[in-house]
Amino acid sequence: MNLFASKDDLIRWLDSLLEKQIVIAPVRVQEQTMFQPISKVEEVIFDFDNTTLSPKGWFLPPTETLFSVQRDDGQVELVPALVEQDAVLFGLHPCDAKGIALMDSPFLQEPGDALYRERRRRTALVGLACRQVQPECFCTSMGSAPDDPSNVDILLTEVEDGYIVQAVTERGKALLPQGLVEYKGKVPTPPKLQAVPTKEVISAMRELFNDPYWEQLADRCLHCNICAYVCPTCYCFDMRDYADKGKVERVRSWESCQSPGFSLTAGGYDPRTTKGERLRQRFYHKLLYFPEQFQDVACVGCGRCVRACPVNIDIREVISNLQQVMEAKSGS
Amino acid sequence: MGPESPFIPYLATLKTATQLTPDIKLLSVELEDPEIRASFDYKPGQFALLSAFGEGEAPFGIVSLPLQKDGLEFAVRRIGTVTRALQELEPGDTLGVRGPFGNYFPLEDYGGKNIIIIGGGIGMAPLRPVINRILERRDNYQELVIINGARTPQDLVFQPEFPIWMETPRTRLELTVDRGDEHWEGRVALVPDVVKEVAPSPDNAIAIICGPPIMIRFTLAGLRNLGFKDNQIVTTLEAKMKCGLGKCARCNIGEKYVCQDGPVFTLEQISQFLEQP
Repeated sequence: MNLFASKDDLIRWLDSLLEKQIVIAPVRVQEQTMFQPISKVEEVIFDFDNTTLSPKGWFLPPTETLFSVQRDDGQVELVPALVEQDAVLFGLHPCDAKGIALMDSPFLQEPGDALYRERRRRTALVGLACRQVQPECFCTSMGSAPDDPSNVDILLTEVEDGYIVQAVTERGKALLPQGLVEYKGKVPTPPKLQAVPTKEVISAMRELFNDPYWEQLADRCLHCNICAYVCPTCYCFDMRDYADKGKVERVRSWESCQSPGFSLTAGGYDPRTTKGERLRQRFYHKLLYFPEQFQDVACVGCGRCVRACPVNIDIREVISNLQQVMEAKSGS
Repeated sequence: MGPESPFIPYLATLKTATQLTPDIKLLSVELEDPEIRASFDYKPGQFALLSAFGEGEAPFGIVSLPLQKDGLEFAVRRIGTVTRALQELEPGDTLGVRGPFGNYFPLEDYGGKNIIIIGGGIGMAPLRPVINRILERRDNYQELVIINGARTPQDLVFQPEFPIWMETPRTRLELTVDRGDEHWEGRVALVPDVVKEVAPSPDNAIAIICGPPIMIRFTLAGLRNLGFKDNQIVTTLEAKMKCGLGKCARCNIGEKYVCQDGPVFTLEQISQFLEQP
């Protein structure tokens, strides 16, 4: 049963949530829209294009301490970082919710990543259906949709005067306020998106690994890593020790396969020394290796990398180019 | 998050550090928790991540055998910040151990075969437990030929064990160096040339190789010329690694994660990877 919440209902509800837990929501930060913990409901933006960074950073922060090393009289103790607060991630679009579901595969796979698992366990997801989409959006080609409720606890859909409230999970039901009335109006039709046909892409990738296409495509790549940072499903990370004023911590941080040295061993050996090899790795991990390992493509069609890339490397174009190269090959 | 985090190393104490070559030390390490020490089981070819707290963590093959009284052993070559910090530890100092990780050399499957072990430099490290396991169960195997090369005589690792390796029946140790010195009376030749000279027969044989990429490349060509098939050649891959758990994706090569699917692969398996290491 769909419920209805007026805008006032929604604000009152967020206010009450904020009393008991952290609420992470889209806010304006220096002309960007970002997911951040809020201190008051007025900060929240309800009508926004996809945020600059995806909300993955709530579960896999750009940098986080895994444990600290305490030395006392020659005795060493490792003190693990803790996740102690409940949270609500509010307002994520269905593509970003899909991104979190995809990240679950590597991080929850045994042995589970304790910090990620704990944040996931303690965070409820309140989604917001997209009433309009951006030109770079292609979620429907990547197994999601502007009104997809499948990876959230509650899905909100904006209508005149308020929101349709869909409690998707038991956890979502428990989170909702009492007294919301049933919604009996029409459910708006979701916006249409351009299709990016992915037919034959996996078999094309098996064939085209050594094709000159990758070096040509990467010729203009600046290996700035922005594609990986804005991506809701890029999850490669680095681990290092930081020692400052006697305090020693092991820190994990985002890393990208586009960085020179990403796969450089201490002995000086690197299986990927060229930009073409590194850029190819990005697309192969998303479109071939991840699907082989976890049965789903590691792209949600949010369009962030397309918007952010300073040299217009466009995953939609890569997919279509691969199909063209394959067609040309089979035709010749 | 409690101590069940797979990123938290076991604490361990450095028992002894023995200089094996000018830049390689053998670290003997004892896990602090007696229960973990008793249950820490592993096989030749598996690796662990060692932590020098304050500098970081890096992967090393475990060069001892399980239940060895001296605890866990690692041959650490000074090559970067973590290895330097590990070499600077004094007996009694604390370090971290995570593991064991990865697959191993399937030595049970090689029973009744001739074994050829070819190692260059620090590449002998993961092969040392293989040799010692074969010597421990010598009757299970046919001929054992060990070809061990290094840059100079003093860079030959595990020299204290050479007499045992040489004196065991049906076991040959062929040493070689790139450059000799005034005391060296042995071979001065590259490993691939020694393989050609020794010319092991591919009949009922398995060749296990580890060393620098260039040595591996030419040795493989030599073994193929001798008639070795790709499924008779086994190696252990080196890769950049951080988590050891198949999550950080640093050691991803083609469809494989070296830390989980490897590090041990046959040449036949490697040749089927989409991306070549």
